[in-house]
Amino acid sequence: MDELLAVLGYKVRSSDMADVAQKLEQLEMAMGTAQDDGISHLACDTIHYNPSDLSGWVDSMLSEFTNPPPPQSHKSAVFRDDSEYDLRAIPGVAAYPQADESDKDSCRKRMKTSAGGSSNSGGSSLLAPAAVSSPSSSSSPPPPIAAAAAPSSALIAEPTRPVVLIDSQEAGVRLVHTLLACAEAVQQDNVKLADALVKHTGLLAASQTGAMRKVATYFAEALARRIYKIYPQDCLDPSYSDTLEMHFYETCPYLKFAHFTANQAILEAFATANRVHVIDFGLKQGMQWPALMQALALRPGGPPAFRLTGIGPPQPNNTDNLQQVGWKLAHLAETIGVEFEFRGFVANSLADLEPEMLDLRPADVEAVAVNSVFELHRLLGRSAGMDKVLSTIKAMKPKIVTVVEQEANHNGPVFVDRFTEALHYYSSLFDSLEGSTASQDLVMSELYLGRQICNVVACEGGDRVERHETLTQWRARMESAGFDPVHLGSNAYKQASMLLALFAGGDGYRVEENNGALMLGWHTRPLIATSAWQLAR
Amino acid sequence: MNLDENLLYEVLKHADAATLGRAACVSKQWHRTAQDERLWELICTKHWANIGCGNTQLRSVVLALGGFRRLHSQYLWPLSKPQSSSSASGSSSSAWAPFPPMIGAKPPARWGKDEVHLSLSLLSIRYYEKMNFGNRGR
Repeated sequence: MDELLAVLGYKVRSSDMADVAQKLEQLEMAMGTAQDDGISHLACDTIHYNPSDLSGWVDSMLSEFTNPPPPQSHKSAVFRDDSEYDLRAIPGVAAYPQADESDKDSCRKRMKTSAGGSSNSGGSSLLAPAAVSSPSSSSSPPPPIAAAAAPSSALIAEPTRPVVLIDSQEAGVRLVHTLLACAEAVQQDNVKLADALVKHTGLLAASQTGAMRKVATYFAEALARRIYKIYPQDCLDPSYSDTLEMHFYETCPYLKFAHFTANQAILEAFATANRVHVIDFGLKQGMQWPALMQALALRPGGPPAFRLTGIGPPQPNNTDNLQQVGWKLAHLAETIGVEFEFRGFVANSLADLEPEMLDLRPADVEAVAVNSVFELHRLLGRSAGMDKVLSTIKAMKPKIVTVVEQEANHNGPVFVDRFTEALHYYSSLFDSLEGSTASQDLVMSELYLGRQICNVVACEGGDRVERHETLTQWRARMESAGFDPVHLGSNAYKQASMLLALFAGGDGYRVEENNGALMLGWHTRPLIATSAWQLAR
Repeated sequence: MNLDENLLYEVLKHADAATLGRAACVSKQWHRTAQDERLWELICTKHWANIGCGNTQLRSVVLALGGFRRLHSQYLWPLSKPQSSSSASGSSSSAWAPFPPMIGAKPPARWGKDEVHLSLSLLSIRYYEKMNFGNRGR
């Protein structure tokens, strides 16, 4: 069964897909070329038959072209619209507010099925229609919609045709389309339209459940903030955001995967060193380091001396989070017999860092590793910030640089493209969370992600810090800055796979190797990527 | 019959993990003996890949981080189960909650290096997390 169509209620065997697709294309061509009015109802009223007999329906549609049906009285394509904008102008989108639910639909909902097996039933089941027409490389925006008419909940005054009502799936499809249309309106600065659409989204979201509802709600809220210019305060208490991240750490394997794979690369780089120094660009609660320290403690021949420099944002109330974390790690180090030294640095931005501050020792005395988990993308908002940091890293003469980033392009210049990418990405992410227990952890994890969504959608300029880019983009950047890739070994891959198997959350997670980097994803959608780098010779 | 504890210890040295677990349920004396870290150290190291460090080194680190019995029950044992699809996680609120050991199942032939390293890492993370609560909380 084709997964994506199944979400919409169509039971089509994957082996039949090519045949169905071909018929749909024929239908599309016929509809496009037919000029006469007799079939205008096909354009305006979608008539749906039995959703499990898709090819039969297509057949009957095709035969109608050859024998146009007798004119019938049907509900004409009229709908009451309060706004002064003709929402029908938005192609292929069910984006009009409805006065009452009985006055259904005269919209032509079209979706394109990609031919046969190429439709990766990957990605989130939430975004079945949008995902279907986009190829697996997520950087190109999904071409909007073409051929098939979608299920309709209209009642047609044609007694001989059986009609099936499908509600929530259609609402799901319309929800996505409404969100996309709203983003489009926002991009065009069409405030009235955007306002109407964002309210409609709220209505549609209420009919959904689970991950879809949550994602839609977060995206709608972010859109609303953008429309009404109520930007979120970014100066949120960092200890609060640390707490949210801890819950995210517990609920799903993404952060653990990041830590394990980065640590493996660091361990291998440190294999022969007697003194090692790790510079962590985002210390937070220091959760990455106990495992590294334990591995160093059990090194054949004994542990090296371990120095950790942790960087963090300024804290309110003069609480010194960095020192507390440093103290805990020192306690652990003492327990397992590792010589340990800690230094904390408060910095508003990594670009404020200078190599002289770090008390670096000569490379033959001390091996240095630079570690960045979800930190580098924040620098892309200001020009020259990234370049400054990369040259600072080079000045540290690291043996290895580990970079973990979200695998998505949320930094494109066009708002609608960013929005669409983010919708796909966070839908997959929320989908993967659904498998875990419904507890406080889950809610906090969702809040953690929700704040990112808000930042991607509602903020601009220096405030927009969640500027995620793909591994390909990071590779290009690192290579042109003078770094060579280091392959993460099979140990990292095996441990990561084992970690996921242990993780009692769900078996949709996948570890993938990508030219030496490792990616963790949900079903076929990669979501985070770990890569390692060294200075180019 | 009251077995001398030393004798009991010697006998239990030859037991496998499941037997040791069951032995702990027999009586207070047996419980005490069966929980001896040295026995669990044997259980762990008898069947796992050599990770290169000396026994003393290993012992001091593992004991400091929570001991071999915990290492086995919470991390090594779940890793030795066949990788079937995950059971319902509804009961546990923490991702690190141990799987209930299966009484009567056979022990694994061997834990590979990756299993060992992963288990040790998870043990150390748990130790560190527990340290959190000792302080003024998160």
